Amino acid sequence: MLTCKEFDDFMVDYLGQGLPVWQKFMCWLHVKMCRECAQFVREYQRTVRLGKKAYDNPDEPVPDFVPEELIKAALFHKRSN
Amino acid sequence: MVRATSAVGRARPQEAAGTSAKTYLAGDDKELLDCLRAGDDRCYEKLVRRFGPQVLATAKRYLRSDADAADCFQETFLTVFKSINKFEERSTIGTWLRGITINQCLMRIRAQGRRKEDSIEHLLPSFDEKGNRMESSSSNESYRIGEMIDTAQMKQLVRDKILELPDTLRVTLLLRDIDGFTTKETAIKLGISVTAAKTRLHRSRTALGALLKPELERLEYHAYM
Repeated sequence: MLTCKEFDDFMVDYLGQGLPVWQKFMCWLHVKMCRECAQFVREYQRTVRLGKKAYDNPDEPVPDFVPEELIKAALFHKRSN
Repeated sequence: MVRATSAVGRARPQEAAGTSAKTYLAGDDKELLDCLRAGDDRCYEKLVRRFGPQVLATAKRYLRSDADAADCFQETFLTVFKSINKFEERSTIGTWLRGITINQCLMRIRAQGRRKEDSIEHLLPSFDEKGNRMESSSSNESYRIGEMIDTAQMKQLVRDKILELPDTLRVTLLLRDIDGFTTKETAIKLGISVTAAKTRLHRSRTALGALLKPELERLEYHAYM
C-alpha cells in the first residue's frame, strides 16, 4: 500500500486524469484505508471548488469599475500609434 | 499567424472541438470586428468600453498593484489594436481578449523578476519518517464548511486568500483552476515542465486550503451562533 507521502505526490493526477488505472486504484485504496488522507482529499476538493466559485465564469464581463481616465488613455494610445 | 491553441486567440476546449473553419462570432461581435478591421475609431472605443471591465478584472486578478493592472489594460488594448487582423475568429472576442490580457500579465510578472517569496512550508502537510500524514484533527464534516456559505463575502474571502499566495503559486492556480488552462498549457505559459506545474498546483491548492480552513471554521461558528 502507498504511504501518505507517496499518495500526496500523486494527488493532482489522482484527482485529474493523469494516472494509469493501476496507480489510480492504489490511490483509491489508500484513501479508503486512511482516514487522514480521506479528510485531506475532501478538504482539497473543497478548496478547488471554492477557488472556482470565487471567480465563477471568467469569460463573463464583471461589473468592475473602469476609471474614465483609463479608457481615455487607451483611446489616446491607439490614436497615437 | 495566430493559432487557435496559442495564447492569443485561444479557443475554449468546448469551442475548439472539430470546428476549425467555424467562426465563433455572431451578431454584435461580428459587427464589432468588421468595424474594427475597417479602422473605425468609434468601434475601438466601443470595444474598450464593452470589454474594459473584463480586461481590468483579469489584470487585477493576476497583478498585485492597481498601477500594474492599469498598465496591463493599456498594453492589452494596444496589442488588440495591432493584431486585430490576425484574429482568426476561433473564439469569441472576449476569450481572445482574456488570452491577451493573461499573456500581458505574465510578461509583466516575469519582467518584475523573481521577488523573494514568503515560505509556505508551514501551510503544507507534514509526514513522519514512515511517510504517514501528520494532520491536526478536524471533524469529518469540516470539509462541508464553505459549501454552505455561498455569498459575496465568501467569494471575497477566497480571492483575498489567493492573493496571499506567493506569485509563482498564485499564477499557477489562476491559470489552471480559475482560467481553465490544462496543466500542459499552464506549464507552457509559465515556461516550466509539466511536472513542475503539477507540483506548484498541488502546493498552491494545499496552501490555499490551509489559509481558508480557520476562516471557514470561524464563519461557520458565527453562522450557527
